Amino acid sequence: MTQNAMKLNGRDNVAMALDLLAAGTEALVLCEDGTRAGVVLTEEIPFGFKLATRDITAGEPILKYGEVIGVASRDIKAGSVVHVHNVDGTRARGDLN
Amino acid sequence: MTTTFMGYPRPDGSAGARNWVLILPVQRNMNLLAASIAKLVEGTKVMLSPGEGGRTTVDRRTIARTMVGLGQNPNVGAILLVAIKPKFGYKELSENYFLDELNKTGKPVRTLVLSELGGYYNALGEGVRLARELALEASRVHRQPCPIAKLTIGVKCGMSDPTSGIVGNPVVGRMFDLLIAGGGTALFSETTEIIGAEHLLVKRAATPEVAAALLEAVRITENKAKSTGEDIRNINPIPSNIAAGLTTLEEKSLGAIAKSGTTPIRGVLAYGERPAGQGLYFMDAWMSSLSLPLCFAAAGAQIVLYQMGGGDLPDPCPPMPAATSGIISPLMYITGNRHTFAKAGDSMDFDSSRALGGGFTVREIGDEFLGHIIDVASGTRTRMETLRHEDPVELYFEGPSL
Repeated sequence: MTQNAMKLNGRDNVAMALDLLAAGTEALVLCEDGTRAGVVLTEEIPFGFKLATRDITAGEPILKYGEVIGVASRDIKAGSVVHVHNVDGTRARGDLN
Repeated sequence: MTTTFMGYPRPDGSAGARNWVLILPVQRNMNLLAASIAKLVEGTKVMLSPGEGGRTTVDRRTIARTMVGLGQNPNVGAILLVAIKPKFGYKELSENYFLDELNKTGKPVRTLVLSELGGYYNALGEGVRLARELALEASRVHRQPCPIAKLTIGVKCGMSDPTSGIVGNPVVGRMFDLLIAGGGTALFSETTEIIGAEHLLVKRAATPEVAAALLEAVRITENKAKSTGEDIRNINPIPSNIAAGLTTLEEKSLGAIAKSGTTPIRGVLAYGERPAGQGLYFMDAWMSSLSLPLCFAAAGAQIVLYQMGGGDLPDPCPPMPAATSGIISPLMYITGNRHTFAKAGDSMDFDSSRALGGGFTVREIGDEFLGHIIDVASGTRTRMETLRHEDPVELYFEGPSL
């Protein structure tokens, strides 16, 4: 089986889907060091979307490219979609003033 | 690898990828006359004046810099200025200023002054006569081999999606690295879309002054965003970014900066400002498709790249929404999303998606991409250039409008 998701940096807690991935299947995540890791998907992951590679707790930073892209707004199970419903940005937030 | 393109040599040492006669109304009330002349004369382009009334001095200077910058662009072989009367209106938008700056290029420049010609109808006739003369004169300049050191390329990323940050933008970045190694110049921009990634760009600033200018540009833009009282996510990432899987502005920014490649950032430029030297420059400007190609062209870019994500596009996709709003500099579309290329190949000049699961590396595709840039610089049309349409342009004003 070839990889169908990709993690960009060793620090990351998300991977990007390289195809439409079905719920209940095991995604094969290509890691930055060339190794592969399996993650069972709790739901469908559309092409390009992020999946959690491990359980993430509300308030934890979300890391992609090895950098902070936001903060989990609720707990996220490994293998779930990581997107606007469970992640908040922290920059340029006029609504938080 | 080829390191020359076939360009139009200009008296100031620059080299054009195209050879337009540019009709420039000095004030907005000359737009009708300028547009009328352009309609009648082959080989011309017109930049309509965006309207200077009630603008601050800073913003009027932006208008003047943009208009004059287009005339200075190597893609322009000759210029016709259209003015209402001597010493009319704001001094930043006077025909003397335009004429002094454009004469420094050594290119043929003619001035048409309505008040000296007995009104619109006579001025139209004289304008057509002058523009036809300029079109003939420009056509006597022929393409010759020029080093890629004479190329300036700007890039906008549009409709970003998750492929943009890992394939599309890195391929542009690799091409920029090669272009700059060859002595060329590259421009990137979109200040909102470096928020969250500025700490990485600052490490590449050529001097402490450049680092400070980058951080200041981010500070001002982030404060403007905060002053709206909104979550930036209602504004940027735009809905099609989010629909395709980009979650936060920070995520978009971290992918966006990949288009700048890896070389040092030599300076931070104002809207439409020409870089002082060669290498990589950041322009502090607005991300709009209707605004960014224009300021790159004004800064001297002979080609503007539109690096498309496009994950949210319909299938099949109509021609892209933004057509050559760089006026005299062709817009070249590329994508790193294989689905986008399949849906909208009719608008795409280059497919870089082969670097994601296609058996090629970003480096290989970036090297190949430079070859396509050289082709377009040498005269091959971009797909947008085959359409007889130009979107309206919107300059980036600091305001307020009073």
